[in-house]
Amino acid sequence: MKKLLCMVLIICMIVSFSACGGQTQEETAAGFIPALDTTISCSIIVAGNYDNFEALEVEFDRFNEYYPDVQLSYVKLDDYNNTLGAALESNDKPNIFFSYTWMNGDSKYDSVFAHTEDLSDSALKLDLDCIRQGLVHKDPEGRVLMVPVFSRTYGMLVNNDLFKKEGISIPASWAELQTACKAFSGKGYSSPMMGYSADSSSCFMYTVAYPMFVAALNDNPEALALANKLDPAAGEYMRPALETVEKLIQNKCIDIDECDKIGDNYTEVILRFFEGDVPMMICAGDTVSGTRKRESQSEAFIASPFDYSFAPIPLTEDGGYFIDSPSVQFSVNKDCDDLEITNEFMRFLITKTELNEMASVKRLVTPTTDLSVDPVYAPFGQISPERTISPEVLGITDPLTVQIRVASFRVGRGEISVDEAVAMYGDFE
Amino acid sequence: MKKILVIIVNVLIMIAMLIFVILYSNIQSRDTAQRQVEQFEKATVTMERVTENYLEGEQRICDVWARYINSKDMTIEEAISFIRISHVLPNASAHIVYLDTMCGLSTKASQNLGGDYSVSYERMYLLDDVSWINDIGEAVNISRAYTNPVNGEQSLAFCNFVTLHDPGTDGHRNAVLLRVLPVSELEQKWIFPQEEFDNAELSMIDASGNYIIKGHSFKNSNFFEFYKSYNTVDPAAAQELWGKVTSSTGSFSMLNSRGEECILAYTPVAATEGWTLLSFMPMKELNVNTENWLLVGFVSTGLLILFVFDLAVMIYFNNKLRAAAKEAASANKAKTDFLSTMSHDIRTPMNAIIGLTAITEKNLGDTESVRENLRKITLASNHLLTLINDILDISKVESGKLNLSPQTFSIVETVENLVNLSQPMIKEKNIDFNFRVSRMETEYIFADQLRLNQIYINILSNAIKYTEPRGSISVDMREEKSQKPDHVRLTYIVSDTGIGMSPEFMATMYQPFSRQTDSRVNSIQGTGLGLAITKQMVNLMEGTIDCQSEQGKGTTFTVILDLPAAERQREDMMLEPMDILIVDDDEVLLETAVETLSSLGVTADRAGSASEALGMITRRHETGADYSIVIIDWKMPGVDGIETIRRIRAEVDQDIPILLVSAYDRTDIEDTAKKAGANGFISKPLFRSTLYDKINDILGTEAKSVEPEDDNSDLQGLNILIAEDFDVNWEVISALLGMYGINAQRAENGRVCVEKMKSAKKGDFDLIFMDIQMPEMNGLDATRNIRRLDDPWASSIPIIAMTSDAFSENVTECLNAGMNGHIAKPVDIKLVIKEIRKIEEDKK
Repeated sequence: MKKLLCMVLIICMIVSFSACGGQTQEETAAGFIPALDTTISCSIIVAGNYDNFEALEVEFDRFNEYYPDVQLSYVKLDDYNNTLGAALESNDKPNIFFSYTWMNGDSKYDSVFAHTEDLSDSALKLDLDCIRQGLVHKDPEGRVLMVPVFSRTYGMLVNNDLFKKEGISIPASWAELQTACKAFSGKGYSSPMMGYSADSSSCFMYTVAYPMFVAALNDNPEALALANKLDPAAGEYMRPALETVEKLIQNKCIDIDECDKIGDNYTEVILRFFEGDVPMMICAGDTVSGTRKRESQSEAFIASPFDYSFAPIPLTEDGGYFIDSPSVQFSVNKDCDDLEITNEFMRFLITKTELNEMASVKRLVTPTTDLSVDPVYAPFGQISPERTISPEVLGITDPLTVQIRVASFRVGRGEISVDEAVAMYGDFE
Repeated sequence: MKKILVIIVNVLIMIAMLIFVILYSNIQSRDTAQRQVEQFEKATVTMERVTENYLEGEQRICDVWARYINSKDMTIEEAISFIRISHVLPNASAHIVYLDTMCGLSTKASQNLGGDYSVSYERMYLLDDVSWINDIGEAVNISRAYTNPVNGEQSLAFCNFVTLHDPGTDGHRNAVLLRVLPVSELEQKWIFPQEEFDNAELSMIDASGNYIIKGHSFKNSNFFEFYKSYNTVDPAAAQELWGKVTSSTGSFSMLNSRGEECILAYTPVAATEGWTLLSFMPMKELNVNTENWLLVGFVSTGLLILFVFDLAVMIYFNNKLRAAAKEAASANKAKTDFLSTMSHDIRTPMNAIIGLTAITEKNLGDTESVRENLRKITLASNHLLTLINDILDISKVESGKLNLSPQTFSIVETVENLVNLSQPMIKEKNIDFNFRVSRMETEYIFADQLRLNQIYINILSNAIKYTEPRGSISVDMREEKSQKPDHVRLTYIVSDTGIGMSPEFMATMYQPFSRQTDSRVNSIQGTGLGLAITKQMVNLMEGTIDCQSEQGKGTTFTVILDLPAAERQREDMMLEPMDILIVDDDEVLLETAVETLSSLGVTADRAGSASEALGMITRRHETGADYSIVIIDWKMPGVDGIETIRRIRAEVDQDIPILLVSAYDRTDIEDTAKKAGANGFISKPLFRSTLYDKINDILGTEAKSVEPEDDNSDLQGLNILIAEDFDVNWEVISALLGMYGINAQRAENGRVCVEKMKSAKKGDFDLIFMDIQMPEMNGLDATRNIRRLDDPWASSIPIIAMTSDAFSENVTECLNAGMNGHIAKPVDIKLVIKEIRKIEEDKK
């Protein structure tokens, strides 16, 4: 007994002493095997137009677990669209930069693409297959000059708990949407659906109308060609979308006056939704990305948190559309310093694990084939492939989107009728 | 104190010391860290000074340009040309931007549109609100870091309002002059003077926490957001912290994006409005903990080793103490048992002596009864003396003072004595006893006869004691060649059919006071010292003793000793040629006897039984070649020796000399044997000399070899002073010494002895025998006084204690007092002579 006690005491001491010097080994991301000398010391600059890119900074730290001496930093370029070209020529030229599909074909960005590396090069060993194919854009020469790190879609934030509380089913079709709105109205909710309405940028009218217009063009390639040419004849294809906007307002699903109280198209939209009395908040996926951080900034949400999700707006009897567009895309400056380690970082980043991780932190829609990573976006994972439309693949151009955005906004605000809007196609600026 | 308590106390002390060391280390670490942090804060303030100087310097240049432009009513082109000529920094540029259009001109052309000097700030959102731009010379009007629209570099701009002449309207237009410098220009100035802060990063934030310049470890676009993302803080505390950061100098620790603890130092940039310089560095870079943990580790290891060592030592000493305590208890018990045994063993013969003395007193007229009682008293006295001698011997053994006193003696005498001593008990117990000797050619040995005798007697008497009546004992003694020069090897084997010993007892049988626990043993007298003494003596003689025993079957002791052969030996021990018949049922004896007789030069025949002997004698008689002598063993199965003699005399020859051999006391059969026709008797064992003497004796021939006489001439004329207060003792010892021609003088006590020595001349005395307990001055004090005498002869005279104080402590006391030896009373004259000879030899 005495010997046993002695042994126990000695073991305790040894364990205590060893515990003094112990250090927890942090877990490292699994699956990635460094291909270069991990002691390499250099810096990588990622330039973009986000004020803030914490999700990417998390990836920097994860990459540093393999390459501790690689200094990675994110830099926001002011007036990005205009300064990117100069930045790529400057002394501080970034290694990686944000790029957008709309830049393709715009001669203004020819100098940008002159610096851009072809990421489909098999020598780079990027796992492009982990990305949904509708999001990877290839230029006429078959090169992949940009890879999406987030995707964008349109829909509505749904207060699931409120639906439960009021005993109303979450709508899956246009009719159910009308029914739900009536039910909420009957229970005293002045605006069962809300959204930003102060200006055309990211306004709810566009968020409702755009998927329908794209769907209409998707069914009619000739109309798409006309629409892209801004031919007024294509205006007729906007009619169903514009009428839907009009009906939502006329049927008192949306109270414009209530919506006008939302001061901006991002933070205030989220905070208004977190008040807890809005069953459905129409917005783009980019807005949803701000919800996580703002949960702690909303006193109402802190006091009464609730379950919510982001779902397609059921604009037809068959439900809504999943408009699957790339949001932010990364391009590599092939003329940058330390191109090899830059490509190594891209190899690290362009994987299902890291892209999902980044999307999860940023709360944007992941561009990977696995949409279940964030439960908020889970409803989009249930949309059938035939109702999933990729505007970039379809060939939707930026001028076309301007037409539907302005038209829907003005119709929604009651400035013009649907007929007038249809007739004015091609003239909106 | 219980061991467990000691361990717990030790562990608690160790833990307390460790806690102290850790606390002390932590305090030291904290102090060091605090000092490092203070250093870091000071370094940050230094960086702020550097920044401030840089900003003010650049602003002054901008101020000079603005003043000049304003004073000259320049157009925008003229102003730009002026600046282009004025400034020399290759990385710097200047922009003049009209406030109404946010467009203007740059001193440098666009990077990708060569030759285009136009510049637009429309989408920069830098000049939409220009309230932060003060009048010229009033303040440092620096922008946030922004992207230079001309070259795409992250830059800072030092601004001033200028008023330009507009040739189109001939009026004036307000514009902002921007002296644009890459952020890297400022970053290059941010080099910490201390090496330990090499890895520190700097950032500059505005009053809202937005980065003006952002170090790469700083995350988010806003420092406060960065802090909140990786550190837990409540809104009120956060507001307080922001207030401190943007208005004072200080530092605090926070976690970075990797979860590492970092130190953040902050100080306001005085030259700006609400800007703060932040220094950021991982805490581990401060390097304050390493040494302390080394200390803790070192102390911990040291304490652990100490603890284990102490534990081992404690266990070792505990075991030793436990063993010592056990030994002490065992010794104590042994002593108690010993005293109890002694009490019993002494009282028994004393009871006989006292009782028999009383009976004798009452029957003084009955001579026969008196003789018998005196004989018994003598026996009891001898037993008592043996007991006391044993105690003395073991006392000497224990103190390591058992010394050998070698002298020349006859082994034959020793063995005869041994046989004689054992005869009474053998007879009493009717034990079948055989004593055989083989090849015993060396009769005289130079060894300690007394001790050798003791060894042989102890072993044989044990065999007799522990053998049941009608059992058997055989003794074999043989001489062999020794490996040592001039030595003979004597092997002495005693085998009995006694009670035997248990293996447990055999393991401890040589320890003093050990006796086998057995009901049969308890009834047998013994001190438990015999074997211990025997073993010690055998060891002392550098011999071996071996024991084989089995309970209920018997025991065999084998003693092997290499003893020096004496110089004097009987020589020419050869008989006239003759034929001798030896008759015995013991084959071994026959063989050894034939061998011995052959060595004496005679022809020996042997017969194993009476009938065979008769046949052989008859045949010889008929051929007229009678045996010269017939030697017949007494005890033989069937027809014994006496009957055989009777038959020889009756049937064959009346004249043939016949010797009767016996290993037993022959007094009972002597008459019968003589009547039967025996001419003489011879005792076993049949030594060569015994046979030689007896054959010569019976044949009436003169022995050519005579036994050498003891030569005591060396003792003649020795003068010995005897200090003895008791008259009888003086008479006995003086008479005994006189027998050897030694002169003795008496001193009645110690004081007289000292006086005599003072007055004695050199050579008056050869040695002193000193009693210890004497009146006026005891023997010890007398010895000390003699040793202190001035006369070197007197002070060095050999002094031998002759006393009844015979325990080892007494011997030691005597030697310590300066004596040269010790003889216990009652004195054995042989011992005394031996001691005198030893002294004399030492003198030589």
